[in-house]
Order: sequence, then C-alpha cells, then structure tokens
Amino acid sequence: MKFLDLLRLVFNNLSRRKARVALTAIGVVIGTSAVVILVSLAIGLQMNANEQLYGIGDLSLINVMPSYGGGGGGGMIYGGGGGGMTETGDTKLLTNNALQELRAIPNVVSVIPREYVSANVFVTYKKLQGYSNVYGVGTDDLANLGLKTQQGNSLLSRSSIVIGYMVAQNFMDPNQRPGQEPPPPPDLYDQQVQLVFAKYDDQGNEIRKNYSMRVVGVLAESGSEADYSIYLPLDLVKSVNEWASNTTINYNKVGYNEVLVRASDPDHTLEIRDQITAMGFQANTMLDFVQGINNFYSILQIVLGGVGAIALLVAAIGIANTMAMSILERTREIGLMKAVGATNRDVLSLFLGEAAGIGFIGGLGGAALGWLLGQILNVVAIIYLAQQAAAQGGVPPSVAVYTPIWLPVFVLAFSIFIGMLSGLYPALRAANMIPVLALKYE
Amino acid sequence: MNPNPSFIRIVGLQRRYEMGGTIVRALDGVDIDIAERTFTVVMGPSGSGKSSLLYLLGGLDRPTAGEIYVNGERLDQMDENALARFRRKTMGFIFQSFNLISSMTALENVAFPMQFSGTPAARRNERAKELLAQVGLADRAQHKPSELSGGQQQRVAVARALVNDPALVFADEPTGNLDTQSGVTIMQMLADLHKSGRTVLVVTHDPRMVRFATNKIFLLDGKAVSEAEYQAVALEPLQANFGG
Repeated sequence: MKFLDLLRLVFNNLSRRKARVALTAIGVVIGTSAVVILVSLAIGLQMNANEQLYGIGDLSLINVMPSYGGGGGGGMIYGGGGGGMTETGDTKLLTNNALQELRAIPNVVSVIPREYVSANVFVTYKKLQGYSNVYGVGTDDLANLGLKTQQGNSLLSRSSIVIGYMVAQNFMDPNQRPGQEPPPPPDLYDQQVQLVFAKYDDQGNEIRKNYSMRVVGVLAESGSEADYSIYLPLDLVKSVNEWASNTTINYNKVGYNEVLVRASDPDHTLEIRDQITAMGFQANTMLDFVQGINNFYSILQIVLGGVGAIALLVAAIGIANTMAMSILERTREIGLMKAVGATNRDVLSLFLGEAAGIGFIGGLGGAALGWLLGQILNVVAIIYLAQQAAAQGGVPPSVAVYTPIWLPVFVLAFSIFIGMLSGLYPALRAANMIPVLALKYE
Repeated sequence: MNPNPSFIRIVGLQRRYEMGGTIVRALDGVDIDIAERTFTVVMGPSGSGKSSLLYLLGGLDRPTAGEIYVNGERLDQMDENALARFRRKTMGFIFQSFNLISSMTALENVAFPMQFSGTPAARRNERAKELLAQVGLADRAQHKPSELSGGQQQRVAVARALVNDPALVFADEPTGNLDTQSGVTIMQMLADLHKSGRTVLVVTHDPRMVRFATNKIFLLDGKAVSEAEYQAVALEPLQANFGG
C-alpha cells in the first residue's frame, strides 16, 4: 500500500470515530502539555540562574594555588609568603618556574600572580575611612585580568591604584555619632587616598606605614570580588609584606600565594583547569560552580519532565484501550481487508498509523497548549518576581518559563512514538488475525 | 488455450475444529478437481462443510491435512503474505452479509482492494466507476451502504470482487440475505461472470442456483458425495414425514 493511501485511510478511519478519538487525544493533550510546561519551567529557572551566575565573575579565569601535599594543610594560604616554606616531595609551589610552565599550557592568555597584604590595612580619604580587600598583582594593567574600568584607566604604578566599583560604598566616618546621618559615599576617582598598613611589635605596639596613592581608575561592576577590591602593584605589596614579617621574600623559593590564569575562551577553562591540577597545583574556576548549578537544573528538567510523562503514560493506556476497542469492533473489516489482498503488514501499518494519528493529534494540541500556557505563566511569573525583587532587592528576572523550539517538536515526535507504542499490541493482534475467524466474528 | 481441467485441485483435504472440548470434522478427506472457466455450485445442508471448503480454497483458512492447488500454486504451504498477494491477484470474494465498509461510499468500497496493490487513485476510481456501471449502480456511486438496498449492496460487493480482474470468484451464500428478485439478479450476474471466462464457485442453499451450474459438488458431513446420495439423504426426512 502506498504511503499516501495509508495516510488517507488513517485519516478517514479516525474521522469515523471523532468523539472517541477526541476523548483519547485529550488525555495525550494533558500529558504533553504537562511535559512542555514543566520542562519549560525548569529551563526558565536554569536560564534565570545562569543569568545571575554569569555575572558573578569571569568564567575564563582560573584561581591556581600551591599544593602542600597530604600533610601540608592542602589549600591553606599562608600569610604573607614570608614563612620560608620550601618545595618537598608532594609540595608544589607557585615559583616563577612554575609560572612559566603554566604559561606554556595551550590557550592560556595570561598568568598573573596575586598576593594578599599580610598586614592590617585600611584606606583614608579626608575624614573617611574604608576597609577593602587589597591585592598586589603581577601586571601593570588590570585589563590583563579581564577587568574593565568605568572611570579612568586600569594601569598600576608605585603611586597609583585602581579600585573596585563598590569600594567607595564601604567608606565611613570613624567619628560618626549614633543617630547621625552617615556621609554619602565619596567619589574617589582621581583623588589622593592614604593606604595605611599596620603591624604590631613584640610589645604589642602598633606600627603604621602610610602610602599616598592616586586613584587612577574605578572598575566597572563585574559581580565578582573585584567590586570590593583595591589593586596595587605586586612589588609594593611584596615590600609591605616584607616589612610586616621582617623577612625577605624570594618567590623563587617560597612561591606566590595565588596565580590567576586566564583562558582564551571559557570553552577552554575546564581543560586548562584539568591540566593545572594534573601538574600538582590546586585550581578552581567559577565554571565548576556554574556547571554544578547546570547539572542540578538538568536533573530538575528530567524530574519535572518525568512528572509530565506520568500523565502521558495514562494517556498511552487510553490509546491502547481505544485501539483495542476499535479492533474488536472492526474485526470483520480486518477479515475483509485480508480477503481482498491486504498483507499482515498493511493491516499492521493501518492500525499503527491510527494509533500514531491519535498521538499526533494529542501531541499537536498538547505542544500548542503547553507553549501557550507557558507564555502566560511566564508573563505572570515575571510580574510576580519583579515585584518580589523590588520589595526585597535584587535583579528582576528577564525570563521565568522558557519553551525552546526543540521542546514542542520533541514532545510532538514523542507523543507520536507513544501512540505507536500503545497501539503496537492491538495492531499486532489485528495483523495476525486468521481471516476466516475475523470474517465470521459476530 | 484449453481450460485447465485441474484449475482447482484438492487432495485428502481435512479441516477439524475443536468446539467445547469435542472435535468437529468440518471436512473429512475431500478430493475434488474443478476445471477452469466452470460455474461450480457447492451444495449441502448446514454443517456439511460447504463454507469451510470455500474458505480453504480462498486461502482464508488453513487445512488440518491435505493439499490445495489453485492454478498450479500450492496454497496450504504459502505464508500469510504470499497468500494475501495470491488472493489479490487471482481471487474475488462475495459474502452473504456483503461485508461493505459502512463509512465508505459504493465507489470507495469497490476501489478499496486496489489500494493494496498500489494502484494510483485515478486508475482506481476509473475502474470502480466502470464496474459500478456494469452492475447498474453508476448513479449510486457516492452512496454509503446504509443508503442502499440489500440487493444493491450485494451488487457493490460483486463489483468489488471483480476490481482486480480475478480469474476465480468465490461466493458464499450470495443470495442468502436477498429478496427473490435481487437474488435472481445476483445469480444472473454470477452466470455472466462465468460466461466472461471466469471460474466461479458458489456455496449455496439456494436450489435455483443449480440451473446456472456447469459443475456440482455435494457435501454431506464433511465428505463429497454423488448427487444421488445427496438427493437420497437430503430428501429422506421429507419422504419419512410426508411419504413422498
């Protein structure tokens, strides 16, 4: 039998039993629309989470730290780098040689050491005082770390610093009286600020060291720790740390606290991270976190899709029942088909086609209904979440329920498949009927 | 070309059924040869095995034992699909209860068997119209079975049986559900099919059919018997009751 003739016959046979086909298809509509809505919801949540996560930092950046072997308190960052720790069997320090090894990894665009200040540190500007993370970085341009400025430039020198987007927000008046209005955040760009470092001598007396620095740039908001950080040249931090610990630091012997490795593209981040780990260092990237979140949402999609699939399973039983009834009612017709020359395959194709047809009608309706309800739910949810964000703070989501184009297509194909699967047993029974028994069936 | 004297040949044909724990011998070792282009009438009382014989010869049932040859092909050894193709090419069937598909028009019912041979729709419709005209129903082509009389439905069934131009036409009690006039019309049509060179085999109770027959087969209790034996047994109850 030709495919077009089969389609015509399937269509005619389904039209003969409109009410029954419609009722059975409604079951499929409910199942498929449930799958579309629930999976769309999970995808929407994932997109929402990714939207937030992708703002939290540069996904091409890998934080590399030395490894101190099994007994060395792995991962602990020692203060100031002056501790005289040297490389042993399992210990892997971030010496200048190690930095050369890291630079040799394919798709690495920059390898920049970063040091913490081991002394107490705060910043003063006029009467105000601020506390921030202070880092020394082994580059004269923060652009090499992927950081962008919103004011000024990102160039560091012995007398210039670059501050994060939120640093000015952390300034306060130390003499402010209770109940007094706090001062507005200062505009620090192109201003002279005092960096005050403090240490204590053996008698517990505080010793301070001041550096007068000009703020040459303010970083653009990145959603990462850079927003709250002040960047200095590495040499300056090294000399402060030597002053604080009363030792001479030789990075070739003790290594750096931390090195920032940048990949040419976030696609290469994980492979570079794996290579660095294989070299014996500790390496972390935000992408690990993002991937963990993505894995969670993938599981959520499967779980929610599975909940919808239960409704589809019930619908499948409905299709099987409808087809079994139909075959019972049309037993003589099956006998006739065989008498006039239909092969078992013709009969099988016809009844499988009818079952697939019910799946198709239900799948089409379900995909359309699911998409429509998803759109409505999306609008309602965005309005609700935006109100929540306005009341509690935070960024309002741009999407809550998202139906990618593949989902209705997949659901339609899947419901056709489910239809055929449900119709398989009744169709096989029809195909294998003995013609004489079918013709004599009362 | 001379007609094949053994167009249909059955040897030692047996068909047994199990019904409620007892074995029913529908056919019990039947040997028959039917020549090509004959009009064969199979007669016998209810339960004699007439319909079983027709369904076995039509490849719609499988024998318990014995051999069935139609036009030189051994049917009892063919698989289901080969049998289906053989039926499609060689045979046409007419049933007592017409077996028309209620949702299809007369035209669609007649054209229906040609779908399975992959004939294009235009050719199918043309052939179906031609056959409906032959059976005098050209004006009822778009009517559904429920809109036709019993006689008209059976004429549609005759047209359907001929749509693939078969050499062999089987009819199972074709006049059983018809009024007298319609029955005669159908009988005349079957006679015309025979005259057009087809082999016709009719299973019937209707004694009027015998006058069209060129060959008669009598069955009693699953066995082929002579006309004299059949007459003796068939008329025995009448003679006993009415002394005829």
